[in-house]
Order: sequence, then C-alpha cells, then structure tokens
Amino acid sequence: MKIAKNSKKEKWDLLSTKKLMKKLLDETHNLKDVELPNDTIKIDDLNRKQALERLYELIDDLIEKIYANGKPVVELPSRSNSNIIWDEESDLLLLGKQIQKKYFHSLTSVADITRLMRVLEIINELLLKDMHATKREIFYTDVKLFQDQKNSDKSLEDVATMLYTTRNSTHVVASARGSCVGRLRIRDRNDIIDLEGLGSGGWGISPMLDNIEIIESDAEFILVVEKDAAMMRLAEARFWRDYPCIILTAQGVGNVAVRMFLKRLSKELRLPVFSLVDSDPYGHYIHSVYMRGSKRLSYESPFLATPDIKLLGVLTRDLDKYKVPGDCRLDMNKTDLKRTRELLKEDFVKKNKEWAKDLELSLKLKKKAEIQALSSHGFEFLTEKYLPEKLTTGDWI
Amino acid sequence: MKVFRKADGGIVQLIDKNKMMEWPIELPLIFIEYIKNNKLESYNDKDVEKKIEEYLDEVLKDVAIPRLIDVLEGNNNTEIIEALERIDNIANDNLDMARPIKPYLNDLANNKNKEITKLAKGILELFRKEERRKELNKKRKIMKEKEEEFLNGKITPEEYAIARKEYLEFRDNR
Repeated sequence: MKIAKNSKKEKWDLLSTKKLMKKLLDETHNLKDVELPNDTIKIDDLNRKQALERLYELIDDLIEKIYANGKPVVELPSRSNSNIIWDEESDLLLLGKQIQKKYFHSLTSVADITRLMRVLEIINELLLKDMHATKREIFYTDVKLFQDQKNSDKSLEDVATMLYTTRNSTHVVASARGSCVGRLRIRDRNDIIDLEGLGSGGWGISPMLDNIEIIESDAEFILVVEKDAAMMRLAEARFWRDYPCIILTAQGVGNVAVRMFLKRLSKELRLPVFSLVDSDPYGHYIHSVYMRGSKRLSYESPFLATPDIKLLGVLTRDLDKYKVPGDCRLDMNKTDLKRTRELLKEDFVKKNKEWAKDLELSLKLKKKAEIQALSSHGFEFLTEKYLPEKLTTGDWI
Repeated sequence: MKVFRKADGGIVQLIDKNKMMEWPIELPLIFIEYIKNNKLESYNDKDVEKKIEEYLDEVLKDVAIPRLIDVLEGNNNTEIIEALERIDNIANDNLDMARPIKPYLNDLANNKNKEITKLAKGILELFRKEERRKELNKKRKIMKEKEEEFLNGKITPEEYAIARKEYLEFRDNR
C-alpha cells in the first residue's frame, strides 16, 4: 500500500456544497412540514402529555364499545405491503388508509389483543413516570406472554399506529447504536454538549431524542457514513475543522434513533446532507433507507426520512475516476447482482436517472468496493482528496 | 434556528429564543455565557460576532431575565430558593449576567424565609463588593493625581493630607 506523501495539504473551497447550502437556506418552503396526500394516514410526533391524552382517548373509546355491545374491537392502519405507498411528491414511503380490525372475542386474535393491551399498559406507565425503555426491556416485562421479542415488537408497532404516533412518542426507544461528531452543540436536558470536544468516539446518539435540542452549529453540511472505520478516519483527521460539517454513523443501516436525529438536523439546520457508503447494492440500500424510510416503519417516514440526502459515494463510476486498483475491487456475487436488479426496479431509482445509470454500470462491471478501498492511495486520501474534491465539484447523485 | 451569514460564505445557526421559553430557568443564562465564552471568537467574523452578541442580549432581555423574575416574584419558596441558588452560581462566575435581577434581590433580602434572605443577601454582597472595588479604583486614580499635584506644588500639604486621609479611610473601611 502506498502512503500519502507528507506534502502541503490542498485546500478545497467546497463551492458546489456552499451553493447547495445557500439554496436550501433560502428556500422557505423547506421549513414547512411534508404535506401528505389524502389517501395516506397522518402520524404526529407527540410530547408526553399529548401521548397520554391520545392513549386515554383510545381506552375511553374501548370502554364505550364494551358498554355498547360487550364485544370491543380495535382498529388500526394495516402495515401490510399492499398498504405501503410511495408518494412521488414527498418522495416518501407512506402508509395507506386500509384499516385492520382486531377482535377481543376471537380465538385467532385473543393472544394478539392480550399482548397489545399489555403493551398499552406498559406505555402508560412509561409516560406517567417520564421514563424510556428499549424494545428488549419491553419483551422482558412479560416473557411468558410475549414468548418471543418479535411478538412484543409487533405489538409496539401496532400500538404506535393505533395511537397515530411515532414509536419514540410512546417512550419506547431503539437501543443506542450510532455516533455523531463535528460542528454541533446540543442540549440534553440541563447539559450543553459540544460535539467537537468529545474525542474521536464522538457523541453516542441518544435514543431519547425528546430530551435533545439543537442549540448551535456552524456546520455547512452533514455527512452520513456507513462504516465505523470511515468515521474513525474522519474523526482522527478532525475533518470538520477544515471542512465545517457534522458527521454521523449508524454502523450499517440507520436505526430509528439515528434516522430521526438526522431528520431533525436536516430539518432544523437546513443543510445539505450527503451519504458515504460502500460501492455495493447494500450501500445503496442504506442510502435509500435514509432517503425514503423502510417499508416496515413506513408510517413513521415523515419523521425518519431525509428525502434530500445526496449519494456522495462511493459510486461505481468513482472506481475508475479515482483509479481504485483492481486488487481492491471485489467481484459481485449472485446476491449482489440480484439486489442491484431489484433496486433498479424501485420507482425512486427509476426516477433518478443518474442513480440508475450508476447501478447499471455496476451490473456491467460486476464489481463492488468498500469505502476503505480508497486507502490504497494512502490513509489521507479520503479526507484530503476524495471527499473535498467531490464536495467542491458537486460530484454526487 | 436563527441564521447568521459570514462574509466568507459560512454560517452560524443559533436556536430561536422562543424555544428557550420552555427551558429550565437557569439554562438560557448558561447558554448565553457558553456562546460568549466558548464560541464567539471561533466564528472569525467581527460582523457576525457583533450580531450574535446583540442576539444574546435579546435572549437575556426577553427570555432569561423575565423567566427568573417570574419565579422571584412568585409565592413558591422552594422555586425561589432554587432560582436564587442558580443566580448565586451565575453571579459568582460573571456578576454582570445577574445584574438585571438585582432590584428583586433587595425585596427578597427582607423575606420571612431565612434561607431566601440569606441567599439574597449573599448575592447582594457580591454586588456591594464589586461596587466598592470600582469606587476604590476611582479613588486610587484621584489619589494619584493629587500626589502629582502635591509634588508639583499645585496643592498645599494640608489639602494633600485631607485627600490622603479620605482615601485611606475609604480603603480600610470594608
């Protein structure tokens, strides 16, 4: 491996990124919330008091049904594939208005209903005590009843959709698995946290985002990286000092906390957001989840998705452009090829010609590469050449 | 967020002051101090620094002080004690930050609750010491001028002795 020469660092002006930043800051419509089409359900992000009120309304309704005919039914939006809609206008995966009914007096749904009511009880307790719990903790509150965490997770998602709110609003949070560094200051209850001063490990993104508030930033863009190794490289180089930015990683597909935090950053700071993922179909999939949300959590998309995120790299076309040596390129296997073809069938890829073109190129070359492959030009190549050059020239999708 | 644009094309964004209305009462003051002490110079743009200072003054005037005053004017002794303890910390770090609260401390120094009285008097004592220090500096300067005048024969030894006595009395009367 070649080690980069200790020559004078080239300073890039990030012209294209600055132009994009200026455009986003000047666009006042960006401040408005996403307007959802009529045939989709609307989900609200609620504070503790509002969530409790909604929960009590639901219970009151159930009690009334019991008084009326003794056979209560709960109704919730269906989360089946047929009810998931891609809205071209907002560029999000959303939940349609198909309703699913769960009957209390039915042998097929009695276990489901019992779990659902138990989860409602737990959520009530969490909200009243102003505490948060992870999905795993919920499972352990009643192992006999839930039997498997899949069941408690499903009930949790059912409860969130029944309440027409996000899972975070029910105080059930994803376990922390993501970090953030860079030009950002936040408030976590009574503490001010400086994300530039936490060492190379950065700030572990808190799943209790209702306690977090963005208070100051002089960043000009946000960079989401797939790999911890790339994050380490950027942190070690203190990349944000030369190029004012905020860097996040979720070590793979962004979990709810990371995606929600990214959405907050993007919405409140109105900065350009870029992703840096491996040049393979899984990397492109990770980018798509940040951009449009996942099908499973489509009902929360407006609070989780960052539709304006740009795919900065590593693009298939970069492999030749940046002369990634043949040794560092890997052959795509059957699964890779299948996944790439599947991605090409997605409406949101078809709509983005450049994206489709890059995926087609990968099918043609049948090659993939990790972000780390760029280190073949030296450890500093990523931070001193690849990223600054792409951010300056606007070489993104 | 409130956006401040730098001459070099960069930006600084600060949280909108309206969002601070829901914060714990001492936090807006801590925020102001944090930005002033830790961030302001790092922006490297005099114009932006000036605008941010003006914004922070607005936060102080419109959010931080009214919120503290609301508590101090209320009847909840526990809240008043908590607020005074926070003001005491702030005043010890930077007395100027607590100055707008001073008129309210005079009333609280005569409160029936002993803890409130003690805390209010303690903070007022900080102000008194600060004012005395300023006054002493002023008198020291005048004394220096008198010494020069005396050495140049512009004032009589008696006039000098009176001025010196006044200065020493003030200096030693703590």
